[in-house]
Amino acid sequence: MTGTAVRVDDLTKSYGRITAVDGLSFAVEDGETVGLFGPNGAGKTTLLRMLAGLARPTSGMIALGAAELTPDDYDIYRTLGVVTHETMLYDALTARENLRVHADLHGLDDPAVRCEAVLDTVGLRERASQRPDAFSHGLRKRLSLARALLHRPDVLLLDEPYTGLDQRSVADLEAVLDGFDDRTVVLTTHDIDRGVARCDRALVLDRGELRADVALDGSAAAFESTYRRAIGLDEPEHIRGV
Amino acid sequence: MKAFLAAVLRVVRKDVRIESRTKGVTTTTAMFALLVVLAFAFSFVKTFREPAVLGRGALWIAFVFGGTLGVTKAAAIEDRNAALDGLLVAPVDRSAVYLGKVTSTALFVFVVNVVTLGATTVLLGYAPTPRTALAVVGVLAAAAVGFAAVGVVVATLTYRSGLDELALPLLLVPLVVPVLLAGVELTAALTAGAPLGSWLRLLCLYTGVLLLAGVATFEFVVEE
Repeated sequence: MTGTAVRVDDLTKSYGRITAVDGLSFAVEDGETVGLFGPNGAGKTTLLRMLAGLARPTSGMIALGAAELTPDDYDIYRTLGVVTHETMLYDALTARENLRVHADLHGLDDPAVRCEAVLDTVGLRERASQRPDAFSHGLRKRLSLARALLHRPDVLLLDEPYTGLDQRSVADLEAVLDGFDDRTVVLTTHDIDRGVARCDRALVLDRGELRADVALDGSAAAFESTYRRAIGLDEPEHIRGV
Repeated sequence: MKAFLAAVLRVVRKDVRIESRTKGVTTTTAMFALLVVLAFAFSFVKTFREPAVLGRGALWIAFVFGGTLGVTKAAAIEDRNAALDGLLVAPVDRSAVYLGKVTSTALFVFVVNVVTLGATTVLLGYAPTPRTALAVVGVLAAAAVGFAAVGVVVATLTYRSGLDELALPLLLVPLVVPVLLAGVELTAALTAGAPLGSWLRLLCLYTGVLLLAGVATFEFVVEE
């Protein structure tokens, strides 16, 4: 893909009377890493699930590359890798078998070779014959990431990738994501320090609305000030405590 | 079309592999169905004069209750770790995912029903001729497909909308009443050597309608 990787136009999602996402419009360029920041209930996960095709927008449009995301266009999922809170893995299958299921569903030409390659990428080759229910949270997250990377997606969607991970697991995850630098990444996070370090740009959401769209220069302190203003918080400690 | 069928097959293969490893659906369902037959045996076998009536009654009651448990278990596998989402973000027609789930669920329900049929023969003295037994197995297969067609949709809906598990039989059983009626009547007709007539047409047509309705609604059931 060249140019715009993700385009969102006047996107709204309502659940009955509750509007989770309210008229969002933004674009993500190829190779850009964009962080979605905001307090609980801001609409980050709902937005990400709509981008992943797991939630249907009430109105508005999502385009991935040149193609609009529509319910019937399943081929568009070849360009998309998705990691959510849940691992999307089967506990009864081994790590390798889990990957093979998804490799087959993606119709990869070399599923067995590709599975071994991504197991290497996430450092799980030696534990490939074990079931994910025997894994720690960090290892399960890495396997989930391996599943999302199997088909070499152009766009990677990550929902709270750092949540529940210890320092070492975060470092491992960061190392994997470093190898993905040439691709487009959209991630949600409450972790401002890590999010700012990882992302080129931040979108701040609050109550379903886009409150700020800022380029990041790696300085968490500078972004915190913007974030605080955008969501109406005064105490920076509150942000770090989220 | 080839890609569609390949996707259906991959979902089935995945489910069969999981089931062969865990026996989570078939063992639980079979145990439950056998308990139903056993309860019939303890309650009626000494006093009831017509084992054919008793046998088919036990068979189809076990079919409904065991089948309900079976579809619940099958849906729970996809609900755990949001595994179904993994299938939904694959470049696969969601109808293929649905038909794959229906095929594997019907297979598990069918296997349990064949075991239940054997149990009614042993415990309740229901002794159809081999030819009749084969025809009853055919009816069970068709009924299992109809049951799974609606069961997959309702069980998925129950899990994804966070409804209580009690909601599943309340929603499912009324929808499978025509399957149950046709199954009971066909079993009676086969045992008595009577013509199958309209009950066979009802079973096949209703199963077809359930499958089409499932294909049409599954997309909306799985999407938020």
